[in-house]
Amino acid sequence: MQRSALARLLLLLLPLLATPSLCGAREYLQVFVTEPYLELHTGPGRGYPVTQVVPRAESVDVLKRRTDWFKVRSERGVEGWASQKDMQRVVLADGSPFTFPLGDRAGFTSHRIEGGIFAGDYSGATLISGYGSYSFNSQLAAELSVGQFLGNASNGTVVDLGLTHVIVPEWRLSPFVMLGTGIVRIEPKATLVVPLDRSDQTAYVGGGLRFYLTRRFFARAEYKSHIVFTSRNENEEVDEWKLGFAFFF
Amino acid sequence: METGIRILLLSVVLALSGCASLRNWLDRDTPKEETQDEAAQAESDDADEAPPRVIEPEVARRKIKVPKIDTENFEVGGMFGALSVEDFGTNPVYGVMAAYHVTEDFFFQAEAGRSTAGKTSFETLGGNIQLLTGDERQFTYYNLALGYNFLPGEVFLGRGVAMTSSFYLLGGIGSVDFAGDQKFAVSFGAGYRVLPTDWLAIHVRMQDRVFDSDLLGENKLTNNLEANIGLTVFF
Repeated sequence: MQRSALARLLLLLLPLLATPSLCGAREYLQVFVTEPYLELHTGPGRGYPVTQVVPRAESVDVLKRRTDWFKVRSERGVEGWASQKDMQRVVLADGSPFTFPLGDRAGFTSHRIEGGIFAGDYSGATLISGYGSYSFNSQLAAELSVGQFLGNASNGTVVDLGLTHVIVPEWRLSPFVMLGTGIVRIEPKATLVVPLDRSDQTAYVGGGLRFYLTRRFFARAEYKSHIVFTSRNENEEVDEWKLGFAFFF
Repeated sequence: METGIRILLLSVVLALSGCASLRNWLDRDTPKEETQDEAAQAESDDADEAPPRVIEPEVARRKIKVPKIDTENFEVGGMFGALSVEDFGTNPVYGVMAAYHVTEDFFFQAEAGRSTAGKTSFETLGGNIQLLTGDERQFTYYNLALGYNFLPGEVFLGRGVAMTSSFYLLGGIGSVDFAGDQKFAVSFGAGYRVLPTDWLAIHVRMQDRVFDSDLLGENKLTNNLEANIGLTVFF
């Protein structure tokens, strides 16, 4: 009975989801052109041609953003894509400058979220891994990485969770140190004597370098030294090396 | 009980309206004196230059709430095509893909797909010989790649429709699960993307998935070509 009432309530709420424009004040940001004119490209990229311009003092509505391009609509209803560089020179209705997060060196120094992909070596096996991190400040970040290693003797997955400390975030080539814990799951190949899968907890300490390339891109190389807490008498030590590309936003 | 609630509500309403009127009355008192003072001062300052202001504007500056701009850098969708597994024939493949566009030039892409490999010519000619079981014939892969957009352009449909398009190159790493074994695979390829609207994209792609295989006796690098058509949405 209660469930059917809940279902009915959800059904009633359904139209609200379908029509966000009715219940939410979804209006676009209006900005004013201060340069002689604002160039509108046909697509979000510098290669797309400029087919329209918006003259000084006219306004445009900012419809959406894709990478470093803004889709705008002029007062006359002309739509086009304006570059980030040009949009830095427009103003809001009260005359204040239009500001937005830029993908530049300042963003590299201090950002909230970053992610990337790596190729590397995990104790002799080929490693493919990806990571995501959340920064508390420009130096300290919590990081989650997931990887798969494929070797001749065994395959497996590695999941690590830990903290990363960037020593001097302002530097273009900046070193960092890492500390954390994780789980490794090893699946030995069937041809071997012990074809048993096993999962073990690990702890790691490591370090690396990150190098700012361009826009929101950087390269990252790192080394982790894992200690695998096995169920046997001695613990294993595993080295992990990897190199990859990452981005921030 | 019900009357009790009504009385309570009524008294709350009365109290609230009382407070409101009291505040209005208090507010009205204080600025009035100021405006009178100002007016008097203005009169004494420039009595014969400008007439005294009759209405003092009391407009509070409104705080403008800047609407959030919708960023559309993520792309997700599905794909369907044909995969040629080396020595095992060409078969349909289907999969999913997701991308994050970092700049107008570069994007990260993750994809996963599945196909079922056919028979080798050895199996076909040899009669009852089966190299792999049904499960082992399943070819499953995933791939993490970096993409580079180049040759941006536009496609025209008749007189009135123009759609933006772009070619892109892909290079990535991943794994292939085939014949009861998982192998490290490198993939590279190229694609063509057309956007009928800002949020919808049609992809036509060609990729080569390369991995080491010792399935047919000797260890060799196998090339597994895949051609597919994808449909993605940006959000």
